[in-house]
Amino acid sequence: MTALDDSGAVSVLAHGIGAQHDLPLSPFYAFAGAFAALFVSFLALGLLWSASRFRGDRAGRPLPVAVQRAADARSTRIAVRALGLAAALLVVLYLVLGPADPDRNPAPGAVYVLLWVGLVPASLLFGPVWQLLNPLRTLHLLGCRVLRRDPAAGRPLPPRVGMWPAAAGLLAFTWLELVAPDPASPTALLLFLGLFSAAQFTGAALYGARWFGRADAFEVYSGLLARLSPLGRRPADRRLVLRSPFNGLDATPQLPGLVATVCVMLGSTAYDGFSDAPSWITTVQTSALGRTTTATLGLLGAVALVAALYALCAGATRLLSGQLAHPLTAFAHSLVPIALGYLVAHYFTLFVTEGPRTVMVALGADNPAPPEPPLGPGGVATLQVLAIVLGHVLGVVAAHDRSVRLFPPGRAVAGQLPLLVLMVAYTIGGLALLIA
Amino acid sequence: MNRHPNRAWTPPRGRGYAAVLLAAALLLGASACGGRATTHHKPGTSHEQATGSNGRLLSADDGSGNRLRQVDAQGAPEVAVTARPDSEDGWNVHLSVRNFRFTPDSVGGAALLGRGHARLFLDGHPLARVYGTWFHLPKSLLRAAGGGTRLTARLYADDHTAWAVGSAPVQAATTLGGATSAPAPAPASTPDATAEISIRDGKVDPAPGRTEVRKGRTVRLLVRSDRDDTLHVHGYDKEARLPAGRTVTLTFTADRTGLFEVETHETDLLLTQLVVR
Repeated sequence: MTALDDSGAVSVLAHGIGAQHDLPLSPFYAFAGAFAALFVSFLALGLLWSASRFRGDRAGRPLPVAVQRAADARSTRIAVRALGLAAALLVVLYLVLGPADPDRNPAPGAVYVLLWVGLVPASLLFGPVWQLLNPLRTLHLLGCRVLRRDPAAGRPLPPRVGMWPAAAGLLAFTWLELVAPDPASPTALLLFLGLFSAAQFTGAALYGARWFGRADAFEVYSGLLARLSPLGRRPADRRLVLRSPFNGLDATPQLPGLVATVCVMLGSTAYDGFSDAPSWITTVQTSALGRTTTATLGLLGAVALVAALYALCAGATRLLSGQLAHPLTAFAHSLVPIALGYLVAHYFTLFVTEGPRTVMVALGADNPAPPEPPLGPGGVATLQVLAIVLGHVLGVVAAHDRSVRLFPPGRAVAGQLPLLVLMVAYTIGGLALLIA
Repeated sequence: MNRHPNRAWTPPRGRGYAAVLLAAALLLGASACGGRATTHHKPGTSHEQATGSNGRLLSADDGSGNRLRQVDAQGAPEVAVTARPDSEDGWNVHLSVRNFRFTPDSVGGAALLGRGHARLFLDGHPLARVYGTWFHLPKSLLRAAGGGTRLTARLYADDHTAWAVGSAPVQAATTLGGATSAPAPAPASTPDATAEISIRDGKVDPAPGRTEVRKGRTVRLLVRSDRDDTLHVHGYDKEARLPAGRTVTLTFTADRTGLFEVETHETDLLLTQLVVR
């Protein structure tokens, strides 16, 4: 009987991490949010500036020299790198030696909650933190030192590669989290982390450390969110500056694959939303194709839908505005705040309940109950709508500034219309997912 | 109107009753040894199978001395009650029943599933026995019962045992509002949300949906699986074994708000989502 019970407890948790989901949003909140989004969009068209104001990389007010010196100190950097490496080592040890029951093993929570969701607030506050914490980068650095190689040495990255490897990595990770049959099992996590690390080390061996900045899914994810951080580094003089998130966003490098990366961020979060709907669960549970295949198709479909809408909008922009070489990439940065809004709306409760719980498990508590969420149902609903609408507003403003810079003055308003329609569609879609 | 005013229940033909009692006792003993739930069980939630079609006598009674007769949730009698003020005097009470027939001719006989009569109570005090769906409730009767606003209709078998599902009598209540007195919503002893789910060949019936419940109320899950499995309520971390072919009842208080998934472990099926507001 005991053996039976134990084996029963091991095969658990089909939904990865988190026993609690947020309540479906009441239509009142959703309508209020949708109305606000529409209102702001049309207000922006009429009232916002007609000459570009954002200065991207060149903007910012430098932090005091002492702060910069402390942040850039060799000892600080080494300490942060050591912290990242130690945490990664702990997670791997827990995966190899720890209990298989995800309720008693902190490793799945560390990956899905502390790393994946925690990167959002960390990057928003401190900039691209994963670049420094990334244990793979640190290991590569150590390996190069042992082999007496220059970490930066390697072939130049073909320009067409851009951020595509990161988009693929993000898709793989979200597939593991949202679709894989047993995402919280140590075997699945070890397999994923092993394959992911192998791919990263191969790329770094060929192209040098710059590979991580383009191809490590977590670095790219953290880097894109860090575009909205008030803390940034000015490339011209390497100074740490306080800057408006709009300027940070404006400086997003327009690389191939940027659109794909943002579409994966939006699409996977959207899939996470509708995979909670009973109708989709019924579809998955009764599908003749099998569950994993159906869920995979659902995830790919969500990403493809987001991408198709964006491509449609880019085509319309090109038609309306005449000659614009890359309308697709030129506006991709304005989707980052919308993706951030989706992320906050979907993962806030998870982070504040399962995050502390994971830490408690790591500190030795046996299957502790997650703490009560700090916000009641009304508070969470308000936060969700605010996050989505605020993301929408930031996106609209960023796109507006970009369009008045790129388009001739007469066409600027018409040129940004398709994008505005797209953003309203994403926002209303995001709110609809919260009702479902 | 009441043919046995002073008797709480009339025993049916003696030997038949004893046999039923013996069978019930045997079953009670047998099921106590096997099929225990694994964890987190509130007292009073049992997993025993009902015997045959006429249910199983419980030791609990309905509060007025009549024992409960437990039957499977599936196909169990159901009742709903409404009361509308009469233009002349008192109230017109309507009972709508499912899986149930009023059998005034055989009252006092043995219990047969889906047959019997109803009784009305006012704030717990017996009012009348009812042999049909409509009943006129005069004010004089309300006064005689000591007054009150909470009208409860409960279904009884011919042998005067109360039909029960999941250890709770089959009953419905309504408030007689308006002139009598201010409506006072009594604390309900019955669960506030009930979900009945069966699993066959990996298919969930009814298809997974949402069960709404207010925070602090009780939830009752009646689950029957065609293979051995484990029932799990996420967030509340309630677990129960699901022996093949038996209806298992899991009752708990929904004291956390949120959306929680109820699922099986072995077959890994989502049964329903609890929406606790």
